[in-house]
Amino acid sequence: MPGCGASSSGRPVRRWVREVTRSTDNEAIEGADLSDSDKQLRHRLFIVAGRLVLLALVVGSWEALAWTGLVPAAFIGRPSKFLPLLVEQTLNGKFVLAAVDTLSATLMAFALGGILALATALALAVYPTLKELIDPFIDAMNALPRVALVPLFIVWFGLGTLSKVVSGVSLMYFILLYNTLAGAQSVDPDHLQLSRSLGLSRREVFLRIVIPTAIPSIFVGLRLGLVYTLLGVVTAELIAGGKGLGSLISYYSNTFDADGVFAVLLVLIVVAYALSMVMTRIERWLTRWNR
Amino acid sequence: MSLSAEGSAGILIEDVVHSYRGRGKTLTVLDGISLSIKRGEFVALVGPSGCGKTTLLDILSGLIDLQRGRVMVGKVPPAVGRADTARMFARDALLPWRTAYANVDFAMATRNPNRDRRRAVIHALLDDVGLNGFENAYPRQLSQGMRQRVALARTFSLESDFVFLDEPFGALDAQTKLVLQDKLLRLWEKMQSTVVLVSHDLAEAVALADRVVVMSARPGRIAADIAIDLPRPRSVSALQSSSDYHALYARLWGELERATGPALGA
Repeated sequence: MPGCGASSSGRPVRRWVREVTRSTDNEAIEGADLSDSDKQLRHRLFIVAGRLVLLALVVGSWEALAWTGLVPAAFIGRPSKFLPLLVEQTLNGKFVLAAVDTLSATLMAFALGGILALATALALAVYPTLKELIDPFIDAMNALPRVALVPLFIVWFGLGTLSKVVSGVSLMYFILLYNTLAGAQSVDPDHLQLSRSLGLSRREVFLRIVIPTAIPSIFVGLRLGLVYTLLGVVTAELIAGGKGLGSLISYYSNTFDADGVFAVLLVLIVVAYALSMVMTRIERWLTRWNR
Repeated sequence: MSLSAEGSAGILIEDVVHSYRGRGKTLTVLDGISLSIKRGEFVALVGPSGCGKTTLLDILSGLIDLQRGRVMVGKVPPAVGRADTARMFARDALLPWRTAYANVDFAMATRNPNRDRRRAVIHALLDDVGLNGFENAYPRQLSQGMRQRVALARTFSLESDFVFLDEPFGALDAQTKLVLQDKLLRLWEKMQSTVVLVSHDLAEAVALADRVVVMSARPGRIAADIAIDLPRPRSVSALQSSSDYHALYARLWGELERATGPALGA
């Protein structure tokens, strides 16, 4: 057995597979493992340090541009102003409340739009004629830039949370529906042939072949959908006002406070990034066979 | 002839004609095929691409309907999902979200509800094909040869009387092929099933089968039916240096050229 190394982390079978496949691929050199991980660690450190330097450079030149007046600070704000503002408004709870407001509307829209999309996809899978019937309409709705509907939603559902949620749902629903259907259509013909030869029923094929096949693209839809749901909610807040982060941006920019706008934008970045990180984690776990 | 095949519940194929229709043209791929296979026999079908080998195998597995003629697999006509037939495809068709073990179990569970028995059989089979220790590996982590081993174990996990193999080792390198051919022989000896193997590799057909049936180019007819009287049990790797084997191979190659023209496999 090749490469019976001393290190023993990871599941033994997987490790073994990795080692065996590696050594059959290109005659692995004994002890290459250690220097490999050493090199990897150094590379990792370089990347992290590089990113920090890059960030410092951006912030530094931003500050310099605003300080020298090359670009008016009224347009781009100043890091030395909006970073303390960010800390202050976060600590006194103003940004936190706004973020919670935006986040809760986003999660509501995500859950509602997600459930509706999956239910629709299921119905369309069970009734293919229905799918054939409404396919062009789904395509058309998916092609429509749905943020254009937000003013209408505000007219219909008022200035409160409901119009924000509906706006988010309108994005989430079609993105997830579209991805789920695409995933279900990507079933490997070999798998269908195998199922037929084993005599599986339509129901079994759906549960045991179609759904697992669709899971990776369902997750792409969920991840994409989450980001776009946030977009829908913030757009509604920008237009309708209220308590969310979008409303704060709208308020600050209406009062020509660039520092305020950038401080809120940073909160938005953190919120969006955290959301997609959580999604990625869940996705990785559920599709671990796909790596 | 037909009586003996039916009596022993082997496979009987009588005057099978099959054609595909498309764009106003009708393409006849099988033109009056008759063949009788005894129970427990290992028969290889060889012939040029497009001669209808796979179509015949699809008919035997019930994947496509019989158009004309008569076919009996065992005592009944072929049907899809029959508990006594198993089919192996040219590509492994492993489910990527299932481990090697779970892929075999996916098939075997359709035939055998007893989980404990399945566990014992599957572990033994994976051991037989040389995958001991890879039970929990996902297809993506396996080489192509290893994936085909899983597919082989899956096919034989069905414990079927009739096993239909469609170029199961076509995509493998020569070395891996020899190893897997031996594994196939061991499994066949153990299970004593009736095997029909479609192959474009004459060497493989001679090494494995009791009989090699040569089909002519489209429309497929049976051009030659040659008994391979090499002693059993065989070892495919040992055969490589056997003069009897090479003599048989040369004789078959001659038959094949006469039957199909020199362009075999082209």
